[in-house]
Amino acid sequence: MACINPVSLQHADCGKPKLYRSVIEDVIEGARHLFAEEGVEEQVLKDLKQLWETKVLQSKATEDFFRNSIHSPLFTLQLPHSLHQTLQSPTASLVIPAGRTLPKFTTAELGTSNSRANLAFSGYPIHVPAGVTLQTASGHLYKVNVPIMVTQTSGRASILQHPVQQVIQQLGQPSVPQLNPCCLQATTEKAQRMETVLQQPTILHSGTEDRKHLEKATCDTLVPPGNEHKITSEALLSQPESSQYIGLPGVVFPPQVSQTDSNVEPVVSVSASMIQNLHGGPLFKGPQGTRDQHVSDVQLHLLKNRKFECDSVKQPRNIEEPSSLPVSEKGSNSQMDLSIQVTDDDINEIIQIDGTGDTSSNDETGSTRDVDENEFLGIIDAGDLKVLEEEADSISNEDSTTNSSDNEDSQIDIVEEDPLNSGDDVSEQDMSDLFDTDNVIVCQYDKIHRSKNKWKFYLKDGIMCFGGRDYVFAKAIGDAEW
Amino acid sequence: MDADSDVALDILITNVVCVFRTRCHLNLRKIALEGANVIYKRDVGKVLMKLRKPRITATIWSSGKIICTGATSEEEAKFGARRLARSLQKLGFQVIFTDFKVVNVLAVCNMPFEIRLPEFTKNNRPHASYEPELHPAVCYRIKSLRATLQIFSTGSITVTEMKPFLHHWNLGWPWDLC
Repeated sequence: MACINPVSLQHADCGKPKLYRSVIEDVIEGARHLFAEEGVEEQVLKDLKQLWETKVLQSKATEDFFRNSIHSPLFTLQLPHSLHQTLQSPTASLVIPAGRTLPKFTTAELGTSNSRANLAFSGYPIHVPAGVTLQTASGHLYKVNVPIMVTQTSGRASILQHPVQQVIQQLGQPSVPQLNPCCLQATTEKAQRMETVLQQPTILHSGTEDRKHLEKATCDTLVPPGNEHKITSEALLSQPESSQYIGLPGVVFPPQVSQTDSNVEPVVSVSASMIQNLHGGPLFKGPQGTRDQHVSDVQLHLLKNRKFECDSVKQPRNIEEPSSLPVSEKGSNSQMDLSIQVTDDDINEIIQIDGTGDTSSNDETGSTRDVDENEFLGIIDAGDLKVLEEEADSISNEDSTTNSSDNEDSQIDIVEEDPLNSGDDVSEQDMSDLFDTDNVIVCQYDKIHRSKNKWKFYLKDGIMCFGGRDYVFAKAIGDAEW
Repeated sequence: MDADSDVALDILITNVVCVFRTRCHLNLRKIALEGANVIYKRDVGKVLMKLRKPRITATIWSSGKIICTGATSEEEAKFGARRLARSLQKLGFQVIFTDFKVVNVLAVCNMPFEIRLPEFTKNNRPHASYEPELHPAVCYRIKSLRATLQIFSTGSITVTEMKPFLHHWNLGWPWDLC
């Protein structure tokens, strides 16, 4: 009956796992000293955190929530040999975009040859220095000729059009405009444009086989000024429908190019988690109706410029082409976040604390409690929400007792009116079951408007639990008819 | 135009307003939180509860007075009011259905002819009052029936009344006035 559209899922799916993790982290940190005061062991806190994470994972609310981070590193970053002449400054530390805390990885490890680093999509933008070769699990090779910023947004297609376009334009032009790295949320139109834009370079590049060019799929492209390297977007992430960009984080590659890559530099290094993540891709096609796409993880393997077996590469590639990922009609772009990670532990420890736009951890408990009124009324504010939680339990107890008593009593008025019967004739039962729903929105409202029986909702800062999955939004507009 | 055909003329009751009391204090907040299909107007201190089955909207005050609007007949109004009281009872309040009273019945009628309002007013001096600058309709009051008719020049007439259970189509519309 109601139709709610999240207008701009800022910090939504792109940072949803991050958001949830930050929430968990915050709570754990906050409780740490309390636990210490009470004399409870630290281990208990750790267990709690583990339990919590497991529950969130199991709740299917964020399906791919922890898939990236908890699993083994997804990327293999191999620094190029001297084959890449452009490998000048790999020792520079990673660029941290404004407003985000990045794990600082000195590329000292990267600077040395044969060094490998595994990148996991933990949602952090990663600055890839020049000369690095990235390889996706599908085996496509991308050579970074210019330092780029790769970010991943989980499912949510947020891609800055500008940098990509500018990047694309570099194909034929020596001058490369400087782009600001940023993780932005694009609109649906942008995503579509992005799609078309990305298609162009692939067509352009299809001819050049012997060159390895790194494709900067996501919008966060950092191009140093004056750099004359060409960046061509290539390498489809194992998608036969290359033009269909969407689901995978910011990587659109034509099939032709993929083969190109394979010919040039077959690379193996496909991690299991990569396949796993790509298998998660089709899952995300499910809620086509919703704007948020789920996280589709792309794992890039940064490889050295070595030759690996083609076959092993191709096999996972085939596996990873389960089905066409949904086109970004719905605007689901994704950014790829690569966190260059030295060791596995680093991924777990580097957790972003500043989760923006996070509501309280209501969603964990919200979906379970009886908040039918919330989605219907929309008259919820933070204060009332808490009260609602408290009263929910007490009221349910009250009702059971009073109802039974009412049914038994027969009320006799003073003014000779018929007593209200036990409800057989007057009560309205058909409505109560209508709201036994699991789809819950916990949010704040800007405005709720009604005309006759037409309702309009202007909501903000909320979490939707829809079909078992959580969607975080900063703004939502809805229409309903009663 | 004889009287019989007048009755067949489309006169429709569009709204019946009634009130009743519950004889108990009502916790509006509780109704707002638990009740179904409620709108809580905290600033004015009332709760609107809408029912689907008889399409009615009830304004609930904390004193226990409830105004029920939107029904299309008196019986439906009473039925809806009882349903409402029943739902309040289910929420846990000791509701007693008392003082049910139909306060207003609004009916609409359409004449197939136009009416010359100034002339009409002149002919019905004591009953009809016409202020074209204030309102484009003639206000015709029938004291005995406690009914007020608004007569428009297009021929549409709205009848409102304060006396309950009055079948205003027995009014005996003064055809000769037009």
